[in-house]
Amino acid sequence: MANIFPRWTNLLPLKIAVCIGTTVAGIALAFSYYATPKTLRVGYQPSQPIPFSHKIHVDQLGLDCRYCHSFVDVAGHSNVPTGNTCWNCHQHVQRDSPKLEPLHRSMNDQHPHYDGKPIEWVRIHKSPDYVYFNHSAHVNRGISCQSCHGDVNQMEVVYQAESHSMGWCLDCHRAPEKHLRPLEEVFNFDYGDKDVARYVAEGSAVKTTEDLGKKLKEQFKVSPKTSCATCHH
Amino acid sequence: MSKRIQHHPEAPADESTVSWRSTGQLEDSSQFRSWLEREFPRGAAEMANQQEVETSRRSFMKLMGASSALAGFGMTSCRRPESYIVPYTKSPEWVIPGKATYYASTMPRAAGAVPLVVTTFEGRPTKLAPNTLHPDADGTDAFAQASILNLYAPNRSKTILKGKKKAKRAELDALIAGLAADSSAKIGFVFGADLSPTRSRLVGELGKKFSAAKFYSYEALQAEDIAGDGVKLVADFSKADRILALDSDFTSTDPQGPVTPFFDRRKPEGKGYTKKADADGMNRLYAVEAAYSLTGGMADHRLRVAPSQVETIARAVAAKLKVPGASAPKLDANHQNWVDVLAKDLQDHAGRSLVIAGSRQSKAVRGLALAINRTLGSLGAGKPMLALQSDAAVMGCIADLKADIEAGAIDTLLLLTPSNPVFDAPADFDFGGLLGKVKTSIHLGERTDATAHAATWHIPATHYLESWSDARSARGTYSVVQPMILPLYADCVSELELLLALLDKQGKLLNGEGPEGAASPAHDAVRKTFGGDQTAWKKLLRDGFQADSSFAAATPSDMGLPAPSDVKAPGKDSLEVIFATDASILDGRYIDNGWLQEAPDPISKITWDNAALIAPKTAKALGIYDEVLKLETTFATVGPDGEGQKRTAPLIKLTVHGKSLVVPVMISFGQAENTIIIPVGYGQGINHEDDLGREPVNESHVGLVGVNRGFNVYPLRKSETPYFATGAKVELTKGRYPVALTQEHHAMYGRALAREVSTMPDARKGSFDAQLEEVSKQGVDSHVPPNVYLYKPEGSSTWDPGKDGKAQPLINDPLHQWGMAIDLTSCMGCSACTIACQAENNIPIVGKEQVAMGREMHWIRMDRYYAAQKYARDDHGQKIKDKKTGDYKKAPEWVQDNPAMVPQPVACVQCESAPCETVCPVNATVHTEDGLNAMAYNRCIGTRYCANNCPYKARRFNFFDYNKRNPLIKHNLNRGPLGKKDVGGPDHLQKNPNVTVRMRGVMEKCTYCVQRLKDAVIRQKRGQKQEALVAGKASTDMEVNTDTLRIPVDSVKAACQEACPAGAISFGNLKDGKKSEMGRAKELKRNYDLLNYIGTRPRTSYLARVKNPNPEMPDAKFIGKATINMA
Repeated sequence: MANIFPRWTNLLPLKIAVCIGTTVAGIALAFSYYATPKTLRVGYQPSQPIPFSHKIHVDQLGLDCRYCHSFVDVAGHSNVPTGNTCWNCHQHVQRDSPKLEPLHRSMNDQHPHYDGKPIEWVRIHKSPDYVYFNHSAHVNRGISCQSCHGDVNQMEVVYQAESHSMGWCLDCHRAPEKHLRPLEEVFNFDYGDKDVARYVAEGSAVKTTEDLGKKLKEQFKVSPKTSCATCHH
Repeated sequence: MSKRIQHHPEAPADESTVSWRSTGQLEDSSQFRSWLEREFPRGAAEMANQQEVETSRRSFMKLMGASSALAGFGMTSCRRPESYIVPYTKSPEWVIPGKATYYASTMPRAAGAVPLVVTTFEGRPTKLAPNTLHPDADGTDAFAQASILNLYAPNRSKTILKGKKKAKRAELDALIAGLAADSSAKIGFVFGADLSPTRSRLVGELGKKFSAAKFYSYEALQAEDIAGDGVKLVADFSKADRILALDSDFTSTDPQGPVTPFFDRRKPEGKGYTKKADADGMNRLYAVEAAYSLTGGMADHRLRVAPSQVETIARAVAAKLKVPGASAPKLDANHQNWVDVLAKDLQDHAGRSLVIAGSRQSKAVRGLALAINRTLGSLGAGKPMLALQSDAAVMGCIADLKADIEAGAIDTLLLLTPSNPVFDAPADFDFGGLLGKVKTSIHLGERTDATAHAATWHIPATHYLESWSDARSARGTYSVVQPMILPLYADCVSELELLLALLDKQGKLLNGEGPEGAASPAHDAVRKTFGGDQTAWKKLLRDGFQADSSFAAATPSDMGLPAPSDVKAPGKDSLEVIFATDASILDGRYIDNGWLQEAPDPISKITWDNAALIAPKTAKALGIYDEVLKLETTFATVGPDGEGQKRTAPLIKLTVHGKSLVVPVMISFGQAENTIIIPVGYGQGINHEDDLGREPVNESHVGLVGVNRGFNVYPLRKSETPYFATGAKVELTKGRYPVALTQEHHAMYGRALAREVSTMPDARKGSFDAQLEEVSKQGVDSHVPPNVYLYKPEGSSTWDPGKDGKAQPLINDPLHQWGMAIDLTSCMGCSACTIACQAENNIPIVGKEQVAMGREMHWIRMDRYYAAQKYARDDHGQKIKDKKTGDYKKAPEWVQDNPAMVPQPVACVQCESAPCETVCPVNATVHTEDGLNAMAYNRCIGTRYCANNCPYKARRFNFFDYNKRNPLIKHNLNRGPLGKKDVGGPDHLQKNPNVTVRMRGVMEKCTYCVQRLKDAVIRQKRGQKQEALVAGKASTDMEVNTDTLRIPVDSVKAACQEACPAGAISFGNLKDGKKSEMGRAKELKRNYDLLNYIGTRPRTSYLARVKNPNPEMPDAKFIGKATINMA
């Protein structure tokens, strides 16, 4: 009987198996890396109708977060400022800047293109519909804006700094001490180890922000929940 | 591994309570068996035949192929969709995005306005709750809870109609201006029966301006004043030790005063469970009625008589109590005995006993009740019955209107009543014909109903949540109606705005927002009526009512006793027909309200329709019974009567006064023989999709919810017999009508589901105290070993500290552990909780066909059981054996025919050791640290294992995307992606933003309103910062303890608890112990866990129902024994 299959085909099934295996593994790896919030969301930086610079307003002028995001410590949502919050200052300051055209349209009834319609800011941080994140629960217990939104005070154009994935949420819920601060420091973007001394007695072993976080966790009785209904209901 | 089957224990041999939920179960139909054993109905998730299986597999492959091919195209253009944040331009005061704002308002109603607190999100009202500050606060019933859906009803009237055609606003303005200019115009006004001080004031002004104006008041099921003009008789149940209800459903459909005090006095431990159980503090309720009402279900003693015979009973009671002028009628010995004992009890509690007559009963019965109260000394200030002088303007009735129209005294008729007179006025008025005789008729209404179509003009009305007005509650407290939102549709006009336009010199109609952002003219009118300074006005707006503004006491006129009417008792060939107030749609006005339509009738458990109800014996005598209850047929073991999508009811032809109606018939227990009950209000519009193939008629009168619903009973109703008619005949016809009944759906089985005890000593079970002691041992609960706790609390024998000694038990929150207690003593089964839950938790309606398949989504299921005592007992409580036959002696027939009705609300009981959690393959249902059995909807893949493993059958599955695909459009659900999508409709505005709107394929259930709990806990956490601010200390110097973080006792309420008018639900934090009402309830002896022997450790427990029978009553020893065992 003649050999139908030449010798070299003996290893063919193995080779095919290895090929398919590698491809599948590659796809899986690629998917698990690229199709995660970490890759898809971090760095999202859409352009806004008004190129509002947090760097100028927060870092240079020293505005508190709550001047504009005024309900962050009372409500679940952190509000985006209403038109008249902007107009309060900008009817006097930089009034004629062409960048403020949309604000004039919305607020200045003397403006030729005035329509009174609100400015449509492009949403950057968006949790899914089935997630009920509450800002006030966090900022009132010593979690800073910075922990989730990054160094917004340095951003010319805001981008998403953290992944906001569920695993990322849980990391902090399991070890909140890394982010806990005294309530006075929640809105302070320069908070660091240098500030710790102000909150502890002299000669204390608490030196770093994480040390202080550990202490505060005990003191504030912070025990973040990790069960589903904490955020999903 | 074989399936582990939980065998329920056998009932003890001496148990003689027969309990059942439906006729099928009483007769033990095979279909009921199948309902018991299956969580989901047969065929709900299976392919019907092989061909279907094949085609579906093939089409699945095709679709998969196509979609994976398309995925390639899709991915290349995969970009994150942009979404926008749109802030206000000018920030409105008090609005915090994402945070609810609460306002006090009032729902006007004929029986007394309902004080409300309205939850609004960014100016959008989403939920109603009772205003507990109000002196007449009374919970909210299903109608009040569901009224918010009327605001967002998709078929709400939106445009002005002239002669049924769309008209321009300018045309209407011209009409109003013309009317206002003619002060001699012959105008007639027809108002509703609710009281509005501003309207009364404007009526006075209108009377002055229009010399020929006439005013009428009309509602379909309205009661006339019998004690003099504007004199209201209002019950004060807190003062009533003994109550006799004469055909009065005062707890639900026929309110006669705030009813919460009645329920407070049902509880042996008093309101809030603060006292030791004591029968003396309890009230005792006697009910005389034809068919079970919810009030009758609460009664300690209940007498079944036909409605015409209620007068005879009342007369006998009056005679026995020596009411001047009352003569004793002849009664049979049984009834006479009942009346004698009752009269003695009332007499013994003279001044603290109360007789209430149904407001729809005859003047004679109501007059008798008033006379008895007067004789008993129960009338007047500080007594159980108050007579109050209302400030309502005296108005004519519909008979006066008819006379005036026929006399030509009215050219223009304004129909402002919330009723629908063309549809619901007694047939002999021929209201439609009358309207034709008026030159101009203007209808103001929220729906384009029959009256809107018959009138020459129709103006869309604003909802009460969109308009300024005021109202009087049951005892007359001045309450304000505030708008929560501008009218959704620009053409909507409120009643006050219309009246003000007529009073305006130019007749200018201003509606909605006033000119240039000023308030509506109705606001100024209400402000003027109220008077007072700005501080008082602001307080009114904040509280919703003005303190100490109730009606003054009045002296009711003595009309004397009417002559006996002597209607013969009904017989088989001369039945009595009761035109009952419907528990779902009232007089028909809520026909387009999906929540109410889908809420099962509390007694018959029918949804989406009405049906005639008839007692089993009468049905047997008329030869209907076997038709209703067709059990097994020759060819199938499943009876055609089986509950499910094929359930049908036989049609009967009912003839009264020469008019006949074909209507489906159902068996009702505890109903008087030879009576037929038919709820009114249905059958307003039929289209070509009708199940019976009826001729399409009045299709445009109703929307998708209300079309093809039930049968119109109003044509049988005449002005002399508005409540019941005698001499009806019934004949069985051939057809059958599909009905959607829920009584066998989600049927639980097991021992001692609902438990009942009696305050009267029982020969076998001992005194009241002894019976209470026994409650937790009823069923087999005394033999059950202590439960093993799945989650291993610290210190228990199974607790495993782990290697590091630090293992944490799962339910470990030291601050909050939630729990609930449901008191069956005060639960009457009204379904207010079901609707409140539906509003709070975004629960969709599923439509009649889906309900019939057992797919209703209600998280709270209201079980309704009947229980009858089968055997007679001797003085020692033993069954009596007949020596000859060896059989036990049966209880008298009148006892067996009058079973007890026991309601039991069941939602998820939050088992600590939950059977559902162990079977979920994806951990979508897990426990939270604070003891909730949570549902993560986004994680659920829809295996439905959890529902199959739930012994309480408390889980509901979204078989379709009910929220997006309108289930009311025929076959829409089955069309999948091709079906009509229902996104962005007005009803979506009602949704609670804090609760996920579930999609298809997701399991859902009660989670104790977890969104409210989270909100309360987070609010409490904010307190820490507030304290730091106030103290001026650094936050790091603050001491944070349990009190800082634990919410105040009883400060959070579940939606069901909040709505309950009976105070039957208490909810709170178990860590508060006896400080919380729920904690005290759980300490009571009559507290028990449902299906305790299964070992699930539920967090919701029940309190056994306590009956307070009169030991001298002939049936006393059969009362308080209705412990429900289902097997």
